[in-house]
Amino acid sequence: MTRVRRGYIARRRRKKNSSLVSGFKGAHSRHTRTINQQTIRALFYSYRDRGRKKRYFRRLWITRINAVTRENQIFDSYSQFIHNLYKKQSFLNRKILSQIEISNNIGLSKISYKIIKPNKVNEERLK
Amino acid sequence: MATTIPTSAFIATPHRCSTGRSSAIWVQKAQFSASSSSLGVSLSLKRPSLRLVSVRCEANGAGMPVIPAQERWMYEESEINGPDIWNKTWYPKAADHVNTEKTWYIVDASDKILGRMASTIANYIRGKNLATYTPSVDMGAYVIVINAEKVAVSGQKRSQKLYRRHSGRPGGMKIETFDQLQKRIPERIVEHAVRGMLPKGRLGRTLFTHLKVYKGSEHPHQAQKPIPLPIRDKRIQFVKK
Repeated sequence: MTRVRRGYIARRRRKKNSSLVSGFKGAHSRHTRTINQQTIRALFYSYRDRGRKKRYFRRLWITRINAVTRENQIFDSYSQFIHNLYKKQSFLNRKILSQIEISNNIGLSKISYKIIKPNKVNEERLK
Repeated sequence: MATTIPTSAFIATPHRCSTGRSSAIWVQKAQFSASSSSLGVSLSLKRPSLRLVSVRCEANGAGMPVIPAQERWMYEESEINGPDIWNKTWYPKAADHVNTEKTWYIVDASDKILGRMASTIANYIRGKNLATYTPSVDMGAYVIVINAEKVAVSGQKRSQKLYRRHSGRPGGMKIETFDQLQKRIPERIVEHAVRGMLPKGRLGRTLFTHLKVYKGSEHPHQAQKPIPLPIRDKRIQFVKK
């Protein structure tokens, strides 16, 4: 049989992979065998973490809202604040609430005053 | 609550200033980050406009530069209109957590229940009381604890709570009671308590360095003008029965 060289096929395939792992540390972005492994991991993690990203951000917003609610002291906690929000059938979601509280000094306390029951507000003011 | 809005969270509409400037003047980002204060209690109470969309001209000094219509194509949307706060969750920039501009709090530990006090302290050091809390960034404050040798515990803990450490060698476990440790190194008790409540890791170790515990009522941080730590726990004061 004549000698058959594989040519550029393997190199082309590996070059496609190596663009996915650019910036990885050490051999993980340089050696073809580790590049192969790292692309598999990278793609797996990005697939899995697209779902996790949603969880993570919601968690962050909730923590931030909790922090501000406790500081404002109109409600005792995030849970009470959200409960009252739902009772008033507000459609504000946590993302918007947490961005309001960061960009605006009194935004969240204004919202809290709107949704709290009137007699509770008087109690707070008397304290 | 007098937290100031972080610099990077401003959104602004470009306003037609009547200066007739035709060329875009680019204000260095570092410049107007330094002019408005970062977080914490701002003594100057320099609060910007309450409305989210505020008009910023050169009078404010810390506003967005006015970019004329012909040159808009050169800039990204966030440079023209400010950050998109409804589609991008805020993340702190370097200017938002400069150590020199953080608040300093002070707690007097006399007759305070150890764990309850440590819990509040850890919250403030981590920054969990702030709207700008970010788990990956050190946004918290500094906390000074004085009179650490007077911290109180309830029940029989004074003689029964054990502090263990190990030297690494076989048979090298050293055990001390609360009482003994308080006589020897009283600061370690508060530090041990707070360290257990801070996250463990690189960031946690840096956070721990923001805790300053002292034995008497003197502390060397007068220049930082510490304010009393607001404690909302109603059962933190030790009541002798």
